Amino acid sequence: MNKFQREAEKSDILTEVGRLIIPFIQVFAIYVIFNGHLSPGGGFAGGTILGVSMILHRLIFGWDNLISRLTYERMMKWMCSSLLIYGALKGYSFLTGGMHWEVWDIPLGTPGKLFSGGLILPLNIAVGIIVAITMYVFFKLFYEGTI
Amino acid sequence: MRKIFSVVLATALIIILLFGVADLPTFGQAENPSNNEVSYRYLEKGVEETGAVNVVAGIILDYRAFDTFGEATVLFTALITVIVVLRRDEDE
Repeated sequence: MNKFQREAEKSDILTEVGRLIIPFIQVFAIYVIFNGHLSPGGGFAGGTILGVSMILHRLIFGWDNLISRLTYERMMKWMCSSLLIYGALKGYSFLTGGMHWEVWDIPLGTPGKLFSGGLILPLNIAVGIIVAITMYVFFKLFYEGTI
Repeated sequence: MRKIFSVVLATALIIILLFGVADLPTFGQAENPSNNEVSYRYLEKGVEETGAVNVVAGIILDYRAFDTFGEATVLFTALITVIVVLRRDEDE
C-alpha cells in the first residue's frame, strides 16, 4: 500500500455521480465493441471508452475491491492471450483462404444481425481488450509509478 | 571524421529518397495505380464477402486484418517497452 493506493479523498458528489455513470459508460463501451461490424465504432473506439471507464473508476473510488482485481499478471495474461487469439484466428483464416483449402470456415451469417460477419466480432473483442488494458496500464504507470 | 561521415551518409540517403519521390506518378491523374479495381471490389462485394454491414470494419478486420494485427502489436510493444523501462518494484 503506497500513498496512492489508500482510500481516495471522498467527495459525495463525485462518488454518487461516478457510481451512477460508470456502469453506463461500460455498457456503452461493450455496445460499441460488439456493434463494430454494424455501425461506426469497433475495437479501438470501444476499447478506449472501456479504458477511460476504468481510469475514472480508479480516480473516483481509489483502490477498492473492484479495481484491485486488475493485477499486473492478470492484465498481462489477458493482453497476451488476446493478441495470440487474434493472430491464430486470422492466421487460420488467411492461410486456408489463400491456399484455397476446403476446410471448415466460420459462417458469415445474415448481414445486419449481431452474430454475423464471421471473424470480425471476435477480432473486435480482442482489439478492444488490448486497447483498454493499454490505456489503463499507461495511466496507472505514470500516475503511481508502479502497476 | 565522424561528422563528415554522418553528413555524407545523410546526403546519400536524401538523394536516394528524392530519386524515389521523382518516380511518383503525377497527382490526380486518372491512370494512376491507386485508381484500380480494389476500391470498387470493396464497395460492391464487401457486404457479401465479409458479412459486415459496416464496410470500414469489413476492410480493416477482414480484407486487411494483418494491418490491424500490426496496430495491436504496436500498442503491445509500446506497453511492454514502457513497462520494462519505467516500472519499479514495490520493495525498491
